[in-house]
Amino acid sequence: MASPVVQSELQCPNCAGQCVYDSAQQALSCVSCGSVSRLETPEDAAAANEFPYDIDAAGPEPMIAFDAVVHRCETCGGSVTFVAKSLSTRCSYCDGPVVVDTSDDGYEPRSLIPFRITETDAQARAQAWVDARMAAPSDLSGVVAQARVAGIYVPFWTFDSREAIRYWAKYRIRRNKRTVVRSTQGAFDMQFDDMLIPASPHVTPLIRDGILHDFVPERLRPYRAGYLAGFAAEQHHQTVAEGLEMKAVEKALLIRNRIKRHINKSGVHNIRYHTDTTGLHYRRILLPVYILHYTYQGKAKKVVVCGIEGRAYGERPFSPLKLAGYAAVLSAVAVVIGLIWGATGLL
Amino acid sequence: MLLPVAITDLAAPALATLALMACATLIGIPSVRKLITVYEAKHELRHGSTGWLRSIAGWSIIVFWLMATWFCATIIGDWAVTGDLDGAISRSMLRLRILLEIAVALMDSD
Repeated sequence: MASPVVQSELQCPNCAGQCVYDSAQQALSCVSCGSVSRLETPEDAAAANEFPYDIDAAGPEPMIAFDAVVHRCETCGGSVTFVAKSLSTRCSYCDGPVVVDTSDDGYEPRSLIPFRITETDAQARAQAWVDARMAAPSDLSGVVAQARVAGIYVPFWTFDSREAIRYWAKYRIRRNKRTVVRSTQGAFDMQFDDMLIPASPHVTPLIRDGILHDFVPERLRPYRAGYLAGFAAEQHHQTVAEGLEMKAVEKALLIRNRIKRHINKSGVHNIRYHTDTTGLHYRRILLPVYILHYTYQGKAKKVVVCGIEGRAYGERPFSPLKLAGYAAVLSAVAVVIGLIWGATGLL
Repeated sequence: MLLPVAITDLAAPALATLALMACATLIGIPSVRKLITVYEAKHELRHGSTGWLRSIAGWSIIVFWLMATWFCATIIGDWAVTGDLDGAISRSMLRLRILLEIAVALMDSD
Protein backbone atom coordinates (compact mmCIF):
# COMPACT_ATOMS: atom_id res chain seq x y z
CA MET A 1 0.00 0.00 0.00
CA ALA A 2 1.49 3.26 -1.11
CA SER A 3 1.55 5.99 1.43
CA PRO A 4 2.82 9.53 1.35
CA VAL A 5 2.82 9.74 5.13
CA VAL A 6 6.16 9.40 6.81
CA GLN A 7 5.48 9.35 10.52
CA SER A 8 9.15 9.73 11.46
CA GLU A 9 9.14 13.15 9.86
CA LEU A 10 6.60 14.16 12.45
CA GLN A 11 8.78 13.10 15.37
CA CYS A 12 10.84 15.76 17.06
CA PRO A 13 14.58 15.12 16.47
CA ASN A 14 15.31 16.39 20.01
CA CYS A 15 12.73 14.70 22.24
CA ALA A 16 10.87 12.31 19.85
CA GLY A 17 7.70 14.19 20.65
CA GLN A 18 4.90 14.90 18.18
CA CYS A 19 5.41 17.78 15.75
CA VAL A 20 2.70 19.85 14.08
CA TYR A 21 3.01 22.45 11.34
CA ASP A 22 3.20 25.95 12.77
CA SER A 23 1.84 28.40 10.21
CA ALA A 24 3.27 31.41 12.08
CA GLN A 25 6.82 30.02 11.90
CA GLN A 26 6.30 28.23 8.57
CA ALA A 27 7.96 25.15 10.06
CA LEU A 28 7.31 22.02 12.08
CA SER A 29 7.07 22.74 15.78
CA CYS A 30 7.32 20.16 18.56
CA VAL A 31 4.29 20.22 20.86
CA SER A 32 6.48 18.92 23.73
CA CYS A 33 9.77 20.84 23.65
CA GLY A 34 8.88 23.60 21.18
CA SER A 35 11.87 23.00 18.93
CA VAL A 36 11.40 24.07 15.32
CA SER A 37 12.53 22.17 12.23
CA ARG A 38 12.38 23.60 8.74
CA LEU A 39 10.79 21.66 5.91
CA GLU A 40 12.36 23.41 2.95
CA THR A 41 14.54 21.35 0.62
CA PRO A 42 16.59 22.28 -2.45
CA GLU A 43 14.02 20.43 -4.58
CA ASP A 44 11.12 22.63 -3.51
CA ALA A 45 11.13 24.60 -6.76
CA ALA A 46 10.06 21.45 -8.60
CA ALA A 47 6.74 21.56 -6.76
CA ALA A 48 5.53 24.23 -9.19
CA ASN A 49 6.07 21.94 -12.18
CA GLU A 50 3.09 21.31 -14.39
CA PHE A 51 2.22 18.05 -16.10
CA PRO A 52 1.10 17.72 -19.70
CA TYR A 53 -2.17 15.96 -20.39
CA ASP A 54 -3.25 14.50 -23.69
CA ILE A 55 -6.99 13.87 -23.74
CA ASP A 56 -6.70 11.33 -26.55
CA ALA A 57 -3.77 9.38 -25.12
CA ALA A 58 -4.72 9.45 -21.44
CA GLY A 59 -4.84 6.08 -19.68
CA PRO A 60 -6.18 5.11 -16.26
CA GLU A 61 -4.48 6.84 -13.35
CA PRO A 62 -3.19 4.78 -10.44
CA MET A 63 -4.89 5.36 -7.11
CA ILE A 64 -3.10 5.14 -3.78
CA ALA A 65 -4.35 4.44 -0.29
CA PHE A 66 -3.53 7.16 2.20
CA ASP A 67 -2.31 5.61 5.41
CA ALA A 68 -3.79 8.10 7.81
CA VAL A 69 -6.70 8.63 10.15
CA VAL A 70 -9.68 9.12 7.87
CA HIS A 71 -12.87 10.80 9.02
CA ARG A 72 -15.89 10.06 6.88
CA CYS A 73 -18.79 12.41 7.38
CA GLU A 74 -22.20 10.79 7.77
CA THR A 75 -23.94 14.02 6.79
CA CYS A 76 -22.25 15.34 3.64
CA GLY A 77 -20.24 12.26 2.64
CA GLY A 78 -16.96 14.15 2.73
CA SER A 79 -13.82 12.42 3.89
CA VAL A 80 -10.83 14.14 5.42
CA THR A 81 -7.56 12.63 6.47
CA PHE A 82 -5.50 13.56 9.47
CA VAL A 83 -1.76 13.13 9.53
CA ALA A 84 -0.59 12.77 13.12
CA LYS A 85 -3.31 13.39 15.68
CA SER A 86 -6.83 14.23 14.62
CA LEU A 87 -8.09 17.47 16.04
CA SER A 88 -11.80 17.09 15.61
CA THR A 89 -14.55 14.53 15.67
CA ARG A 90 -16.72 16.73 13.46
CA CYS A 91 -16.61 17.11 9.68
CA SER A 92 -14.44 20.02 8.62
CA TYR A 93 -16.89 20.85 5.82
CA CYS A 94 -20.34 20.59 7.34
CA ASP A 95 -19.68 20.08 11.06
CA GLY A 96 -21.61 16.80 10.91
CA PRO A 97 -20.60 13.73 12.92
CA VAL A 98 -17.84 11.56 11.43
CA VAL A 99 -16.82 7.94 11.63
CA VAL A 100 -13.14 6.98 11.76
CA ASP A 101 -11.74 4.83 8.98
CA THR A 102 -8.22 3.55 8.40
CA SER A 103 -7.54 4.37 4.78
CA ASP A 104 -8.69 6.59 1.97
CA ASP A 105 -8.15 5.76 -1.69
CA GLY A 106 -7.36 8.70 -3.91
CA TYR A 107 -4.85 10.32 -6.22
CA GLU A 108 -1.63 11.62 -4.80
CA PRO A 109 -1.37 15.41 -4.91
CA ARG A 110 1.92 16.65 -6.30
CA SER A 111 2.22 19.77 -4.23
CA LEU A 112 0.57 22.10 -1.76
CA ILE A 113 0.81 25.61 -0.43
CA PRO A 114 1.34 25.49 3.35
CA PHE A 115 -0.75 27.49 5.79
CA ARG A 116 0.58 31.02 6.33
CA ILE A 117 -2.27 32.38 8.41
CA THR A 118 -2.68 31.26 12.01
CA GLU A 119 -5.94 29.92 13.37
CA THR A 120 -6.35 32.96 15.66
CA ASP A 121 -5.91 35.32 12.73
CA ALA A 122 -8.33 33.29 10.60
CA GLN A 123 -10.93 33.42 13.37
CA ALA A 124 -10.60 37.22 13.56
CA ARG A 125 -10.86 37.58 9.77
CA ALA A 126 -13.95 35.38 9.58
CA GLN A 127 -15.54 37.43 12.35
CA ALA A 128 -14.59 40.70 10.63
CA TRP A 129 -16.12 39.48 7.38
CA VAL A 130 -19.39 38.65 9.08
CA ASP A 131 -19.41 41.95 11.00
CA ALA A 132 -19.02 43.87 7.74
CA ARG A 133 -22.13 42.34 6.12
CA MET A 134 -24.81 44.83 5.11
CA ALA A 135 -28.39 44.02 6.13
CA ALA A 136 -27.26 41.12 8.29
CA PRO A 137 -29.32 40.12 11.33
CA SER A 138 -28.22 41.99 14.45
CA ASP A 139 -27.49 38.83 16.40
CA LEU A 140 -25.39 37.23 13.63
CA SER A 141 -22.10 38.55 14.98
CA GLY A 142 -22.72 36.90 18.37
CA VAL A 143 -23.69 33.60 16.76
CA VAL A 144 -20.51 33.52 14.66
CA ALA A 145 -18.36 34.54 17.64
CA GLN A 146 -19.28 31.24 19.31
CA ALA A 147 -18.11 29.17 16.34
CA ARG A 148 -14.52 28.12 15.73
CA VAL A 149 -12.50 27.83 12.54
CA ALA A 150 -10.90 24.54 11.46
CA GLY A 151 -7.92 24.34 9.12
CA ILE A 152 -8.15 21.98 6.17
CA TYR A 153 -6.24 21.38 2.97
CA VAL A 154 -8.70 21.33 0.08
CA PRO A 155 -7.94 19.61 -3.25
CA PHE A 156 -7.66 21.88 -6.28
CA TRP A 157 -6.57 21.65 -9.88
CA THR A 158 -4.64 24.19 -11.82
CA PHE A 159 -5.10 23.98 -15.57
CA ASP A 160 -3.25 25.72 -18.37
CA SER A 161 -4.54 25.67 -21.91
CA ARG A 162 -4.54 27.62 -25.14
CA GLU A 163 -7.89 27.99 -26.86
CA ALA A 164 -8.29 28.84 -30.53
CA ILE A 165 -11.89 30.07 -30.56
CA ARG A 166 -14.14 30.60 -33.55
CA TYR A 167 -17.58 32.02 -32.81
CA TRP A 168 -20.89 32.92 -34.41
CA ALA A 169 -23.42 35.23 -32.73
CA LYS A 170 -26.23 37.71 -33.28
CA TYR A 171 -26.69 41.22 -31.95
CA ARG A 172 -29.40 43.87 -32.01
CA ILE A 173 -29.07 47.40 -33.32
CA ARG A 174 -31.56 50.28 -33.67
CA ARG A 175 -32.23 51.48 -37.23
CA ASN A 176 -34.89 54.14 -37.85
CA LYS A 177 -36.82 53.36 -34.64
CA ARG A 178 -36.72 49.63 -35.45
CA THR A 179 -34.65 46.90 -33.87
CA VAL A 180 -32.63 44.96 -36.41
CA VAL A 181 -30.86 41.67 -35.70
CA ARG A 182 -27.47 41.24 -37.32
CA SER A 183 -25.19 38.20 -37.47
CA THR A 184 -21.50 38.28 -36.78
CA GLN A 185 -18.61 35.88 -36.49
CA GLY A 186 -15.00 36.06 -35.51
CA ALA A 187 -11.99 34.28 -34.09
CA PHE A 188 -9.44 34.89 -31.37
CA ASP A 189 -7.03 33.02 -29.15
CA MET A 190 -7.44 32.79 -25.41
CA GLN A 191 -4.96 31.57 -22.85
CA PHE A 192 -5.85 30.07 -19.49
CA ASP A 193 -2.96 30.16 -17.06
CA ASP A 194 -3.17 28.47 -13.67
CA MET A 195 -6.96 28.31 -13.76
CA LEU A 196 -7.93 27.11 -10.30
CA ILE A 197 -10.70 24.51 -10.22
CA PRO A 198 -11.94 23.08 -6.91
CA ALA A 199 -11.62 19.30 -6.85
CA SER A 200 -13.96 19.11 -3.88
CA PRO A 201 -17.73 19.54 -3.97
CA HIS A 202 -17.47 21.37 -0.64
CA VAL A 203 -15.69 24.44 -2.00
CA THR A 204 -17.76 26.19 -4.64
CA PRO A 205 -16.29 28.34 -7.43
CA LEU A 206 -17.94 31.34 -5.72
CA ILE A 207 -16.03 30.76 -2.49
CA ARG A 208 -12.84 30.16 -4.50
CA ASP A 209 -13.28 33.53 -6.21
CA GLY A 210 -13.87 35.17 -2.85
CA ILE A 211 -10.81 33.86 -1.08
CA LEU A 212 -8.24 33.10 -3.78
CA HIS A 213 -7.51 36.23 -5.78
CA ASP A 214 -3.88 35.60 -6.61
CA PHE A 215 -2.32 32.21 -7.15
CA VAL A 216 1.46 32.27 -6.86
CA PRO A 217 2.92 28.93 -8.07
CA GLU A 218 6.26 29.76 -6.42
CA ARG A 219 4.57 29.21 -3.06
CA LEU A 220 3.92 25.55 -3.89
CA ARG A 221 5.85 22.98 -1.87
CA PRO A 222 6.18 19.24 -2.45
CA TYR A 223 3.44 17.17 -0.87
CA ARG A 224 4.90 16.11 2.49
CA ALA A 225 3.37 14.84 5.68
CA GLY A 226 5.05 17.58 7.68
CA TYR A 227 2.96 20.32 6.08
CA LEU A 228 -0.23 18.43 6.87
CA ALA A 229 0.59 17.71 10.52
CA GLY A 230 -2.05 19.26 12.72
CA PHE A 231 -4.47 19.98 9.89
CA ALA A 232 -7.19 18.00 8.16
CA ALA A 233 -6.83 17.29 4.46
CA GLU A 234 -9.27 16.11 1.84
CA GLN A 235 -7.54 13.96 -0.70
CA HIS A 236 -7.97 14.11 -4.46
CA HIS A 237 -10.68 11.74 -5.60
CA GLN A 238 -11.13 13.05 -9.14
CA THR A 239 -9.37 11.85 -12.27
CA VAL A 240 -7.86 14.50 -14.55
CA ALA A 241 -10.73 13.89 -16.98
CA GLU A 242 -13.24 14.64 -14.20
CA GLY A 243 -11.30 17.77 -13.33
CA LEU A 244 -11.44 18.85 -16.95
CA GLU A 245 -15.23 18.43 -16.91
CA MET A 246 -15.37 20.86 -13.97
CA LYS A 247 -13.07 23.19 -15.85
CA ALA A 248 -15.25 23.03 -18.97
CA VAL A 249 -18.19 24.60 -17.11
CA GLU A 250 -16.05 27.50 -15.88
CA LYS A 251 -14.29 27.86 -19.21
CA ALA A 252 -17.57 28.08 -21.14
CA LEU A 253 -18.75 31.06 -19.08
CA LEU A 254 -15.42 32.87 -19.46
CA ILE A 255 -15.30 32.22 -23.22
CA ARG A 256 -18.87 33.50 -23.70
CA ASN A 257 -18.03 36.63 -21.73
CA ARG A 258 -14.89 37.13 -23.80
CA ILE A 259 -16.87 36.68 -27.05
CA LYS A 260 -19.31 39.41 -25.92
CA ARG A 261 -16.40 41.75 -25.26
CA HIS A 262 -14.80 40.78 -28.59
CA ILE A 263 -18.01 41.65 -30.49
CA ASN A 264 -18.29 44.83 -28.40
CA LYS A 265 -21.94 45.52 -29.27
CA SER A 266 -25.09 45.54 -27.20
CA GLY A 267 -27.75 42.87 -27.44
CA VAL A 268 -25.36 40.02 -28.24
CA HIS A 269 -27.23 36.71 -28.13
CA ASN A 270 -27.40 33.27 -29.66
CA ILE A 271 -23.67 32.73 -29.19
CA ARG A 272 -22.17 29.56 -30.65
CA TYR A 273 -18.49 28.75 -30.66
CA HIS A 274 -15.94 26.08 -31.34
CA THR A 275 -12.63 25.88 -29.55
CA ASP A 276 -9.49 23.91 -30.25
CA THR A 277 -7.68 23.23 -27.01
CA THR A 278 -3.92 22.74 -27.02
CA GLY A 279 -1.10 22.91 -24.50
CA LEU A 280 -3.10 21.33 -21.72
CA HIS A 281 -1.14 21.15 -18.46
CA TYR A 282 -2.32 20.47 -14.96
CA ARG A 283 -1.29 20.36 -11.34
CA ARG A 284 -3.00 18.30 -8.63
CA ILE A 285 -2.55 20.42 -5.53
CA LEU A 286 -3.87 21.09 -2.03
CA LEU A 287 -4.64 24.60 -0.83
CA PRO A 288 -5.09 25.64 2.80
CA VAL A 289 -8.34 27.10 4.05
CA TYR A 290 -9.99 27.65 7.41
CA ILE A 291 -13.69 26.88 7.57
CA LEU A 292 -15.99 28.32 10.20
CA HIS A 293 -19.39 26.65 10.60
CA TYR A 294 -22.36 28.30 12.16
CA THR A 295 -26.06 27.68 12.26
CA TYR A 296 -28.51 30.53 11.93
CA GLN A 297 -32.22 29.86 12.38
CA GLY A 298 -31.68 26.17 11.73
CA LYS A 299 -29.70 26.68 8.54
CA ALA A 300 -26.05 25.58 8.38
CA LYS A 301 -23.72 28.15 6.87
CA LYS A 302 -19.98 28.54 6.55
CA VAL A 303 -17.36 31.24 6.23
CA VAL A 304 -14.12 30.25 4.53
CA VAL A 305 -10.80 32.02 5.12
CA CYS A 306 -7.87 31.57 2.76
CA GLY A 307 -4.97 30.05 4.68
CA ILE A 308 -2.48 31.85 2.44
CA GLU A 309 -3.57 35.49 2.34
CA GLY A 310 -6.43 35.55 4.82
CA ARG A 311 -9.25 36.67 2.53
CA ALA A 312 -12.65 35.63 3.88
CA TYR A 313 -15.84 34.82 2.03
CA GLY A 314 -18.84 32.72 2.79
CA GLU A 315 -22.53 32.29 3.28
CA ARG A 316 -24.60 34.80 5.18
CA PRO A 317 -28.23 35.35 6.10
CA PHE A 318 -30.14 38.58 5.47
CA SER A 319 -32.41 40.41 7.87
CA PRO A 320 -35.81 40.85 6.12
CA LEU A 321 -36.52 43.94 8.22
CA LYS A 322 -33.24 45.62 7.28
CA LEU A 323 -33.78 44.72 3.61
CA ALA A 324 -37.23 46.30 3.81
CA GLY A 325 -35.69 49.37 5.47
CA TYR A 326 -33.16 49.82 2.67
CA ALA A 327 -35.90 49.19 0.08
CA ALA A 328 -38.11 51.84 1.75
CA VAL A 329 -35.30 54.43 1.68
CA LEU A 330 -34.49 53.79 -1.99
CA SER A 331 -38.19 53.72 -2.89
CA ALA A 332 -38.69 57.04 -1.11
CA VAL A 333 -35.85 58.62 -3.08
CA ALA A 334 -37.29 57.33 -6.39
CA VAL A 335 -40.81 58.47 -5.42
CA VAL A 336 -39.70 61.99 -4.39
CA ILE A 337 -37.70 62.48 -7.60
CA GLY A 338 -40.65 61.10 -9.60
CA LEU A 339 -43.18 63.37 -7.86
CA ILE A 340 -41.06 66.47 -8.51
CA TRP A 341 -40.47 65.37 -12.09
CA GLY A 342 -44.19 64.83 -12.72
CA ALA A 343 -45.23 68.00 -10.88
CA THR A 344 -42.86 70.21 -12.85
CA GLY A 345 -44.14 68.77 -16.13
CA LEU A 346 -40.76 67.59 -17.39
CA LEU A 347 -40.97 65.36 -20.48
CA MET B 1 -61.92 78.52 1.55
CA LEU B 2 -59.37 77.47 -1.08
CA LEU B 3 -57.14 75.55 1.31
CA PRO B 4 -59.62 72.74 2.24
CA VAL B 5 -60.38 72.20 -1.45
CA ALA B 6 -56.68 71.92 -2.25
CA ILE B 7 -56.16 69.43 0.57
CA THR B 8 -59.12 67.35 -0.64
CA ASP B 9 -57.71 67.36 -4.16
CA LEU B 10 -54.37 66.17 -2.88
CA ALA B 11 -55.81 63.40 -0.73
CA ALA B 12 -56.09 60.85 -3.54
CA PRO B 13 -52.55 61.48 -4.95
CA ALA B 14 -51.18 61.36 -1.39
CA LEU B 15 -52.88 58.03 -0.76
CA ALA B 16 -51.60 56.77 -4.10
CA THR B 17 -48.08 57.89 -3.11
CA LEU B 18 -48.32 55.95 0.15
CA ALA B 19 -49.61 52.88 -1.68
CA LEU B 20 -46.79 53.23 -4.22
CA MET B 21 -44.24 53.50 -1.40
CA ALA B 22 -45.61 50.36 0.25
CA CYS B 23 -45.68 48.36 -3.00
CA ALA B 24 -42.24 49.59 -4.08
CA THR B 25 -40.79 48.65 -0.68
CA LEU B 26 -42.28 45.18 -0.80
CA ILE B 27 -41.32 44.52 -4.41
CA GLY B 28 -37.89 46.09 -3.82
CA ILE B 29 -36.73 43.64 -1.14
CA PRO B 30 -35.26 41.11 -3.66
CA SER B 31 -33.74 44.02 -5.58
CA VAL B 32 -32.02 45.36 -2.46
CA ARG B 33 -30.72 41.88 -1.76
CA LYS B 34 -29.36 41.75 -5.30
CA LEU B 35 -27.85 45.21 -4.86
CA ILE B 36 -25.97 44.05 -1.76
CA THR B 37 -24.85 40.88 -3.56
CA VAL B 38 -23.53 42.94 -6.48
CA TYR B 39 -21.84 45.41 -4.11
CA GLU B 40 -20.14 42.58 -2.22
CA ALA B 41 -19.14 40.87 -5.47
CA LYS B 42 -17.59 44.08 -6.79
CA HIS B 43 -15.57 44.52 -3.61
CA GLU B 44 -14.75 40.96 -2.61
CA LEU B 45 -14.73 38.62 -5.60
CA ARG B 46 -11.89 38.39 -8.07
CA HIS B 47 -12.87 40.60 -11.00
CA GLY B 48 -13.53 38.72 -14.21
CA SER B 49 -13.85 35.36 -12.43
CA THR B 50 -16.83 33.09 -12.99
CA GLY B 51 -18.10 33.70 -9.45
CA TRP B 52 -17.96 37.43 -10.08
CA LEU B 53 -19.78 37.10 -13.42
CA ARG B 54 -22.50 34.93 -11.90
CA SER B 55 -22.93 37.26 -8.92
CA ILE B 56 -23.35 40.45 -10.89
CA ALA B 57 -25.61 38.86 -13.52
CA GLY B 58 -29.18 40.09 -13.10
CA TRP B 59 -28.24 43.52 -11.76
CA SER B 60 -30.74 45.15 -14.13
CA ILE B 61 -33.59 44.08 -11.82
CA ILE B 62 -32.43 46.86 -9.45
CA VAL B 63 -32.71 49.51 -12.18
CA PHE B 64 -36.09 48.17 -13.39
CA TRP B 65 -37.48 48.42 -9.87
CA LEU B 66 -36.27 52.00 -9.39
CA MET B 67 -37.38 53.05 -12.88
CA ALA B 68 -40.86 51.57 -12.39
CA THR B 69 -41.19 53.32 -9.02
CA TRP B 70 -40.00 56.60 -10.47
CA PHE B 71 -42.37 56.27 -13.45
CA CYS B 72 -45.45 55.69 -11.26
CA ALA B 73 -44.41 58.62 -9.05
CA THR B 74 -44.18 60.96 -12.06
CA ILE B 75 -47.82 60.20 -12.92
CA ILE B 76 -48.87 60.88 -9.33
CA GLY B 77 -46.88 64.14 -9.32
CA ASP B 78 -48.54 65.27 -12.55
CA TRP B 79 -51.95 64.20 -11.20
CA ALA B 80 -51.41 66.11 -7.93
CA VAL B 81 -50.65 69.35 -9.78
CA THR B 82 -53.22 69.16 -12.60
CA GLY B 83 -55.93 67.13 -10.85
CA ASP B 84 -56.34 65.22 -14.12
CA LEU B 85 -55.36 61.55 -13.76
CA ASP B 86 -56.29 60.54 -17.31
CA GLY B 87 -54.27 63.41 -18.71
CA ALA B 88 -51.33 62.54 -16.49
CA ILE B 89 -51.38 58.95 -17.75
CA SER B 90 -51.56 60.14 -21.37
CA ARG B 91 -48.64 62.51 -20.86
CA SER B 92 -46.59 59.70 -19.30
CA MET B 93 -46.68 57.55 -22.46
CA LEU B 94 -43.65 59.26 -24.02
CA ARG B 95 -41.78 58.75 -20.74
CA LEU B 96 -42.82 55.08 -20.78
CA ARG B 97 -41.49 54.62 -24.30
CA ILE B 98 -38.14 56.09 -23.35
CA LEU B 99 -38.02 53.94 -20.23
CA LEU B 100 -38.75 50.81 -22.26
CA GLU B 101 -35.93 51.72 -24.64
CA ILE B 102 -33.59 52.10 -21.66
CA ALA B 103 -34.86 48.83 -20.20
CA VAL B 104 -34.14 46.92 -23.42
CA ALA B 105 -30.64 48.43 -23.56
CA LEU B 106 -30.03 47.47 -19.92
CA MET B 107 -31.26 43.92 -20.48
CA ASP B 108 -28.87 43.61 -23.39
CA SER B 109 -25.91 44.69 -21.30
CA ASP B 110 -26.83 42.65 -18.21
